Amino acid sequence: MSTEAHVGRLPATDWDGGALPYRVGHRKLGMWLFIVSDAMTFSAMLITYSYARVSSDAWPTPFPFYPSIIFSTTMTLFLLASSFTMVMAVRASAHNRLRAARHWIGATMFGGLAFLVLHLIEWEHLIHDGLRPFRLAGEWAHRWPEAPPLFGASFFAITGLHMFHVFTGVAYLGVIALRIGKTRHEDVEISGLYWHFVDLVWMFVFPLIYLMSVDFGG
Amino acid sequence: MANENIRELLKKSDFVMIGVCVLLAAACLFFAAKSAADAGNFLTIDSLFFTAVCLLLALTFVVVPALTLRERGIHPFRVGDEVPPARANEHVHFEGSTRLFLYVLLGLLALTVIEVFLAYIHVPLHIMLTILIGLSLIKAAMIVAYFMHLRFERMSLVLTLIPTIVICICLLFIVFPDSFRAGSLRATHTSAEPVAGSAPAHDGH
Repeated sequence: MSTEAHVGRLPATDWDGGALPYRVGHRKLGMWLFIVSDAMTFSAMLITYSYARVSSDAWPTPFPFYPSIIFSTTMTLFLLASSFTMVMAVRASAHNRLRAARHWIGATMFGGLAFLVLHLIEWEHLIHDGLRPFRLAGEWAHRWPEAPPLFGASFFAITGLHMFHVFTGVAYLGVIALRIGKTRHEDVEISGLYWHFVDLVWMFVFPLIYLMSVDFGG
Repeated sequence: MANENIRELLKKSDFVMIGVCVLLAAACLFFAAKSAADAGNFLTIDSLFFTAVCLLLALTFVVVPALTLRERGIHPFRVGDEVPPARANEHVHFEGSTRLFLYVLLGLLALTVIEVFLAYIHVPLHIMLTILIGLSLIKAAMIVAYFMHLRFERMSLVLTLIPTIVICICLLFIVFPDSFRAGSLRATHTSAEPVAGSAPAHDGH
């Protein structure tokens, strides 16, 4: 079992320090570590929001079926569809079909942009109603007099950070699509990992922010 | 030698020209978007005119570098079907068929519809929260396993990433039970407050 006995032989197991203990490149491992840390950021924000909500006497549930829930459900469908097109892009890239990969990435970017536009319209509605980070919209204060004014802060902070991730992802995919002839397959795959993560975060933001705040009267 | 220098200068000047044109085109696009967004009612002659003029200017600035590049046979972004050099020696590992990914997508869509449906059923908050988070965890697992390809990676990577994030999120939840108590604590505090809080105010007047 001495060290000399291993010299000149390939490592037999995953953990004795071969060149690629995870069999992924360092860039891909880096993206995975970034995703883990980013997941912690989002979970901290979502848990803080849940904490504020559970410990409050009341919390506004202002989202009517139309437009808010219809909009956010459509946004979810767009993100899920764009995740599928991204998988197809990575698949095409794995088979060196670069043109097809570029078209699939284009479809993914379209899904992301549609998400951004719908979400900005939704923000515009809420800001127009008078919602601010630390002030409830005018009518809401009458409907939920015991509610703390934190709804806007949590809503804008969490969806804003997510929207920033979507925007960054669209820009990132644009660069990858333009340079697809010069990049390695791994780079396409890594951009796919980032995009799926953005989708994954929305799978928690959507029920916690939107579905838990459905206005039954609306 | 001098000839080469001139060629290089020309290249540089071309590059600057193309860059300036692209920047101007981007600025025109920005103004087009701004005029479309600022016009309260988009379908008026004025707003359509300003937006159209900006778009036309943007097109003009794009056409010049595009034609220049095409004339010289430079296609910076074209990809053919031959394998580019960057990928020549790359070992690619990819599993999963289109059918599998379609099934995953359909599963995710179905779970989303179920979630929206559940949101309209009157149940206590904590039961609703448990169901929604449970469904979301299933969706997240499907995305990570199939879309993010983790199911087909080496077990050592899975064992490094997943327990890390699970344990960290569990640690974040340590203080969460306090939120159930905080409400009752504040209730007793506010009911006692008028006595303690109003006394100094009355003294002042």
